[in-house]
Amino acid sequence: MYISGVPGTGKTATVMEVVSALRQSVDDGDLEDFDYVDVNGMRLTEPHQIYVQILKKLQGLKATPNHAAQLLTQRFNQRGKKTVLLLVDELDLLWTKKQDVMYHLFDWPSHRHARLIVVAIANTMDLPERIMMSRVSSRLGLTRLSFLPYNFKQLQSIVSSRLSGIEAFDGDAVQLVARKVAAVSGDARRCLDVCRRAVEIASQQNRLKKAMKLTTIEHVHEALQEMFSSPMIMFIRNASTQEKMFLRSVVAEFRRSGLEEATIGQVLHHHNAITKLDGLQPVSVTSIIKVCNSLATARVLMLEMGRYDLYARLRLNVSIDDVLFALNSDV
Amino acid sequence: SFSRKKRHHIVIASNLISDVQSVLRSRLFEETSNCRSDIAKAEHTLTDLVKRTVEFGESNSLLIIGAKGSGKTTVVREAITKLQKNEKISKSLLVVRLNGYVQTDDRIALDEITRQLHLENTVGDKVFGSFSETLAFLLEALRQGSSDSSQPILFILEEFDLFAQHKNQTLLYNLFDLTMAGLTPMLVVGLTCRLDVMELLEKRVKSRFSHRQLYICNQWGTEDYIEAFSVLLHLDESFGKKSSKHKSFLKTWNASVKEMSENVSVRDILKRQFDISKELPSLYHLLVQPVTQISMTHQFITAADIADSARNIFADSKSNILHGVSVLELCLIISMNHLTNIYSGEPFNFQMVYNEFLKFSQKKSHILQRYKKPVVLKAFEHLTELELLKSKDNCVTAGSKILKEYRPMILLVEQQQLRDAIYKYPGCPTDVQQWAESSIV
Repeated sequence: MYISGVPGTGKTATVMEVVSALRQSVDDGDLEDFDYVDVNGMRLTEPHQIYVQILKKLQGLKATPNHAAQLLTQRFNQRGKKTVLLLVDELDLLWTKKQDVMYHLFDWPSHRHARLIVVAIANTMDLPERIMMSRVSSRLGLTRLSFLPYNFKQLQSIVSSRLSGIEAFDGDAVQLVARKVAAVSGDARRCLDVCRRAVEIASQQNRLKKAMKLTTIEHVHEALQEMFSSPMIMFIRNASTQEKMFLRSVVAEFRRSGLEEATIGQVLHHHNAITKLDGLQPVSVTSIIKVCNSLATARVLMLEMGRYDLYARLRLNVSIDDVLFALNSDV
Repeated sequence: SFSRKKRHHIVIASNLISDVQSVLRSRLFEETSNCRSDIAKAEHTLTDLVKRTVEFGESNSLLIIGAKGSGKTTVVREAITKLQKNEKISKSLLVVRLNGYVQTDDRIALDEITRQLHLENTVGDKVFGSFSETLAFLLEALRQGSSDSSQPILFILEEFDLFAQHKNQTLLYNLFDLTMAGLTPMLVVGLTCRLDVMELLEKRVKSRFSHRQLYICNQWGTEDYIEAFSVLLHLDESFGKKSSKHKSFLKTWNASVKEMSENVSVRDILKRQFDISKELPSLYHLLVQPVTQISMTHQFITAADIADSARNIFADSKSNILHGVSVLELCLIISMNHLTNIYSGEPFNFQMVYNEFLKFSQKKSHILQRYKKPVVLKAFEHLTELELLKSKDNCVTAGSKILKEYRPMILLVEQQQLRDAIYKYPGCPTDVQQWAESSIV
């Protein structure tokens, strides 16, 4: 089975929940006993290590990847073993050039006596078609499930269910968080993070005022501002005079040439002119290049690597409008 | 009055000067100063987070973003020093420090983590087991913890953006995943100077990151900068307690610092430096030279010292190099400059430069002797080695088929720099000066 969906939509949590429900029914005697193994592609250093992990969790043995693969193939060919439920998280990382790992994973269940169920989880819906060879994707089968991003109502109910019994949040505040997050990504993790931050802000303010208050829409708004804001505009606003001038000259050069790329040498001419216009003392070329480098390390500018000196090409990492907005707001 | 002054000189012991030096040097080089107010706020946030991790077993992740030299490391260090004073926290908190420049891949980072956590598979500082075993072991160890019984861990990742360049971002994924899983309480703090660091993270890593960001940006003005200047040089009362001589010296010193910070030319220099860079290290650069020059014969920093240091800092490096070249090389640079101007930035080769130079030396110059072509070529090569000029595209390497006389080159000297250099060149011939002004021979 293949499960897909963007991060934070509850794929892994749902599978875990199903497994624990199955365990419960095993304990109740409604179901035959089974082994449960979960592996995560991100927790492996290298795709072939998955064999080692599975073998270790099934039989407690330690082996090299190749040997482990052999042992596992043997085991899944024998009859009369327990059923195994194998959960593979972050499937896309198991991609190798020969795709032998994925092939094995989906080939084992097709053995007659294997009694193996593989549940694979990944982010993209078209992963089987995109990266798998046809013989791998044909073994994967068509049992697929995709998790849609949460809409605001679902997010709202997730947050309210977490908060059930606690009077801490204003109803409108929860709705604002849910709507904002649903508009961007529909990620439940993000939603809970924003709420957590809002509670922190509220408790900080309550401590100052020495009053107990609910987390209101203002707190949530502040938390959202904090977590979704772009640092670029703030950086440009607080940049030094010469840095601002350099950005101004970059914009001037772009306007002159109509291109979105310029060399440092071209920008220098504008910089000199602007310095004179503003009545500041002229600075040396070395200092201007220093300024340019400090903008480049902050990635406001993208600067060509290498020792091109005055001929290094640069482009802006923010839109020109943003730069102008940030520069003009303080005049 | 002269004799009194002389006596004064003798009275002051030489250890007084070395005391002053050590105080000021430790401020400049050991980065222990805190003249910044906005840093305190960031520090407070961090301390708060660590406290919550220790007390309530909460797991968090945080990114501190700020320009180079804005005091990110200072925030972390100050916060940790303060927390270490709290006995309960210092006993239970484990701190793991990683740096992106040192831990260049996940394997090295993991070995370092196991070493710093003193995990039991380490035998005397040497970690055994392969990379994958270490990862499995570490994750196992961290996953077995619970939020109320395990010891909290504080991970500090300096140069966080370099960790994002590791293969698959495995380390970041696992660290952030653990903060989300609510097992061992841990706080992951990343320090970076890249503003676009969020775009470097993979989607699933980004989803697990809690999106707490702290921006450290300089919101101080020129007056605060000048204030920081005097705070940096100001001597404390504790210095005066050593002896009576120290005390009297302290008074004169602080008075001289106060006078200097009110001096117009010093303020002007500070303002210029502030215009270029608002960060504190720029102030350190300015002060290194004056502080190291304090000696028995020169006991106080004067405005002239600051001006001297500023001249070095504001100087243009290329004009300085040009002061050191020979007249022939200077002439070549001038002819290259003319060629660049005439052909509006098109590349030139040695032959063109040589012709231009010949035109000048045959018609105009009566001082310059006629140099032979190999000599001129040698001078040309010397300039290339100084990287004052560069071959047009870097693909032209040593094995290239194009002869060096015909290789297309570009000049890396600005007109302004050349003008400055010629103006200050010791003993520059008049006709060369005139030729630099106009290309007409």
